[in-house]
Parts: sequence; C-alpha cells; structure tokens
Amino acid sequence: MEKVLEILTRVRSDIDFENEKALVDDSVLDSFDIVGIVSELAMEFDIDISIDDMTAENFNSAQAIYEMVERILDED
Amino acid sequence: MAYTSFAFLLFLAVVVLFYYIIPKRFQWVILLLASYAFYLTSGVKQVAFIIATTVVTYVAGLLMQKKRDAYKKELEQLGSDITKEQKRAMKKAVGAKVHTIQVLAVLINLGILAVIKYANFVIENLNGLFTAFKWDASIPLVNIIVPLGISFYTFQTLGYLIDVGRGKYDAERHFGRLALFVSFFPSIVQGPINRYDDLGAQFKAPHKFDYTTVKFGVQLMLWGLFKKLVIADRVYPMVSAIFSSSPTEHSGGVFLLGMLAYALQIYTDFSGGIDIARGAAQTLGINLPQNFERPYFSQSVAEYWRRWHASLGGFMRDYVFYPVMLSKFVTKISKSFRGKGWKKAAKLVPSVITPFVVFFLIGIWHGASWQYVAFGLYNAIIVAGSVALDGVFKKGLELCHINTEAGSWKFFKMVRTFFVLGIAKMLVKGTGLKASLAMIGRMFTDPDFGLFLGMGGKIYEFGVDQKNMTVLLIAVLVLLTVSILQEKGMKMRETISRQNLLFRWLLYIGIIVVILVFGVYGPAYDATAFIYQAY
Repeated sequence: MEKVLEILTRVRSDIDFENEKALVDDSVLDSFDIVGIVSELAMEFDIDISIDDMTAENFNSAQAIYEMVERILDED
Repeated sequence: MAYTSFAFLLFLAVVVLFYYIIPKRFQWVILLLASYAFYLTSGVKQVAFIIATTVVTYVAGLLMQKKRDAYKKELEQLGSDITKEQKRAMKKAVGAKVHTIQVLAVLINLGILAVIKYANFVIENLNGLFTAFKWDASIPLVNIIVPLGISFYTFQTLGYLIDVGRGKYDAERHFGRLALFVSFFPSIVQGPINRYDDLGAQFKAPHKFDYTTVKFGVQLMLWGLFKKLVIADRVYPMVSAIFSSSPTEHSGGVFLLGMLAYALQIYTDFSGGIDIARGAAQTLGINLPQNFERPYFSQSVAEYWRRWHASLGGFMRDYVFYPVMLSKFVTKISKSFRGKGWKKAAKLVPSVITPFVVFFLIGIWHGASWQYVAFGLYNAIIVAGSVALDGVFKKGLELCHINTEAGSWKFFKMVRTFFVLGIAKMLVKGTGLKASLAMIGRMFTDPDFGLFLGMGGKIYEFGVDQKNMTVLLIAVLVLLTVSILQEKGMKMRETISRQNLLFRWLLYIGIIVVILVFGVYGPAYDATAFIYQAY
C-alpha cells in the first residue's frame, strides 16, 4: 500500500491520496494522470494492466488501486 | 424536423402529454414511437441504415452474452474441480469468441459509417493520385445522402458493443429497448453520445410527472434557443462571409474577427443545440450527459477537450485512449525503453503516442478532408508536446519567478488556450487547407487592430450591421455573465426558482420575447442547420 501511495504522490503531489475517495468520479485525476499511474504501476510491480481493469471503481481511491494491483499479482 | 422549429415544440408537447398519461411500463414504447416518427421526418430511405445498425448491435450483443453465460454456467458446474490454469484457459477461450463477435459487429457498424462518410473523400484522393501519375482513370463520386445522426448513433452502438464485450454490463434482451437507445430523438441529431448503462437504465425506470423537472427542462431549452437563434445564427453571416473569401482579399484583422466570430458561433450553435436536446429529454424525466462545461475558460488544450463535447472526449478516452495506451504496440516500445534504462522516456511513450491516434480520429470524425486531419494533428502536437515538455515548462516558470497561482497568470493561460484553439478552428474553416493557413498567417503579419475600434465602420461590412452587432454584443454579455456565475458554482435554474413569482415570470416572458423578437428567422437564414448535425 505504501508503494502505491508513493507512486500516486510521484504522479500528482498536490492530491491527498489517503483521504480522496472519488479520484475519477470527481475528476480529480485526468486521463493523463491515469496513464502516468498505470505506467508507474506496471514498472514498479512488473504487471500488465488490461483494458478490463480501466474502470472508475479501480482508480477512485488509493485503496482501490492497491486492491487492483493485488488482484492482478494474484492472477499472475 | 429542426429542434428550433415550432413543429418540434408541438411534437415534444404531444409526446410529453402521452408519456405522462399512459401506464408507466409503456413509457419507453411512446419514446420509441416518437423517436422513429422524428427520424422519419428526415427521410424514409435513411431509416434502413439505422435499423441495420440496430439489428447488428442487438444480435451481436445477444451472441456475446450467450457465450459469457455459457462460460459462467460451466464454471459453476465445475465448482472447485478446476485448477487455476484451467480456469484461465477457459476465460481466454470465451474471451476470444466474444472478441471475434465484437470485432465483426464493430467493423460492420463502422463500415457503414465509413462508406457513407468517407467514400467520396477516398475516391477524390484516388482520382487525384491518378491525375498525378497521369493515368487515364477516374472513379465517379457516389451520391449518398448521409442519414441523420449517423456518427452519433454509430458511436453509441460501438460503446455498447465494447462494454458488453468487456462484460461491463449485460446485453439488452429486448430489441425495442435497444432500438430506443440507438434512436432516442432528443440526442439523435447531434448528441450527446450516450452510454447504455446510463440511458438504458433510465428508459427502464418509471417516470412520474414532476413539475420542477419539466420546468427545468423547458428553461434549458429556452436557454439553448437563445444561444442558437439570437447569437449563433446572428453571427453566422459574418463567419460565412469572411471564411469564404480569399486570404488576400482582407487584412489579418478581418481574419482575427472571423476567428472570434467562428469561436462564438460554433460554441453557441453546438452547446445551444445540446441545451435544447438535454432540456427536451429532461421534460421526459431523462437526464442526458452534460456535453459542455464552459470550455473557453479552460487553461490548457487538454482541459478544453475535457470541457468541449465531453461525451465525445469520454468516448475517445474509454474506447480509444486507454486501449491504445495499453496496447501491445505501445507497451512494447515503453518496455524496450525501460530495458535501455530510459525510465523517463518509457513513462512518456503512452502519453505522447496516444494523443496522435485520438486526435486523428477526432479530426476525421468531424469531417472527411485533409483540413480535419491537420486539425487533429495540430491538437495532438500541442497536447503530446505539453505532456512531454511539462518538466521544461515548470523549470522555465521557476526560473522566471512566475507565480502560477496568480489570477493574472491563469487569465493569461485562458486567453492563450482560446487563441491556440481558435487557430485550430480556422484550419477547418477556410475554403481549403492552403487558404486556412494563409488566413492564419495574415493574422500575424497584418493584424489591423483599427478594425476593432470600428474605424470607418468596416466591421459592419460582413453581414452583421450596426443594429445587429449591438444586439449581438448585449447577448454575448448576457452569455458571459451567466457563464461566469456558473463557473463560480451558481446553479442558475435553482437560483431562479428561489426568486419571487413576479420576477420569475418576468424573466421567462422576457427570454421568450427576446427569442421571438431577436431570434434570427426567415428565408435568408434557412441554411443554418446545426453545424454538428453534419458530423
């Protein structure tokens, strides 16, 4: 989880990722931020994020992103 | 039947009446009948196209659903007697079958759109090539009438097919309900581009008559009519006069005037049309997505594209941007950069490549011409460039001690974005790409600011006389004031409903009178169909 938070802060240092729960729904993140997060996650965890994972629910909070990463790692 | 016509208002009133008096479970049937009745007014033959697309979408949706259901059932039956690897193999196999159906259906729907919209563009270019190589051959152009709203309804069906394929939601089993989603009359002419999970659910829900909802719908329609009839159609002759001229005919100041006029026209025309569409849907208790969020207040090109025609932007993001970004091609390049130790470049690859694909498609979606290709390329270079050079810009700002939080800086960025996009709009507005580029060039080489001070009254020579210019300026001032208030978070319709009865009615009557008196009507203006209707 800490690693995920570190990545998120690296992409957008101005957002309170620990408390923000609607990063996508409230347009806190734009699609370029998502691209940045996805490429950082792919590099850091050596995972392939698929198009089916690109849902608002998976990116709305740091916790959701963490759970998605865990799930992908588990599926591998 | 134009949204701005009296016939449409009458049509909507009849639909609203029937919609609220019949049993709620038949409300969607009324909407379907109304949508097809509305569509038929644009031509009988064209109905075949929309029906074909609906049938393809319906059948493909059901087939994909069938494959998925069979897979789930098999998984349930196997229970725990299955290894992780077997499960993965089964998922992959069903995924491949679903994918094949999806790709076929997308290709058919997209194929119909492509042939209708791009056949002549391809033929013209092929003929051009034949001439260039001095081959004695020429393909005759085809004469196809573009069916109403084909770009919009095709995109909606593509979204549906991709979502069902991805398992985002179940396929619609009722043909009539899917047909309504494809043809819903308020959004068929120029969008917004709807998503099935949103609109489909609203069609299934019962809608009780609610005075406030209907009133808000009518108010939104009035606001849209004001934008379209009082502003867009008033400034139309000026845009038309300036951009149909030759680049050498006028000073650069005239083309700057043209740019401002066109920015005003296209915004009020398109967003006005969307207000009418959303308002009409709201009178039926249906909420369509907001397509515009005061885009000219954007501080960057990327932000502008989130606020202008947002339903197309959202479509591109979900069905083009993310898939391209995660595609094997892009990830392969990114990974190879990573392997070489170029971490920064590896991260930038998706953000730089993807805008080119997205904006190329946005460009040609708007029209089949090289001007639109240039329009897409121009936007892509700016968006990808600003992402790639973000670090450099930030350092530059630090070095120059620029306070990026200052209001003046934000205002500068807003004006800069407006002009950068104004130039993009000019690319498609001249009689050809060469003419457009020459007009843009003249703005810089021969600005002629005197024109704007009204010197010699030259400004009134382009189809908008002094009287109309005064009306236009007042109307723009009203639009600007409302936009600023909205930008500050004020919800106009709710604020109005809190006012006293007398004030409210004076306001309603006032806007109706303004539309009736200052709206542009008459034979001279017959040509002003909504601009986006043609896309």
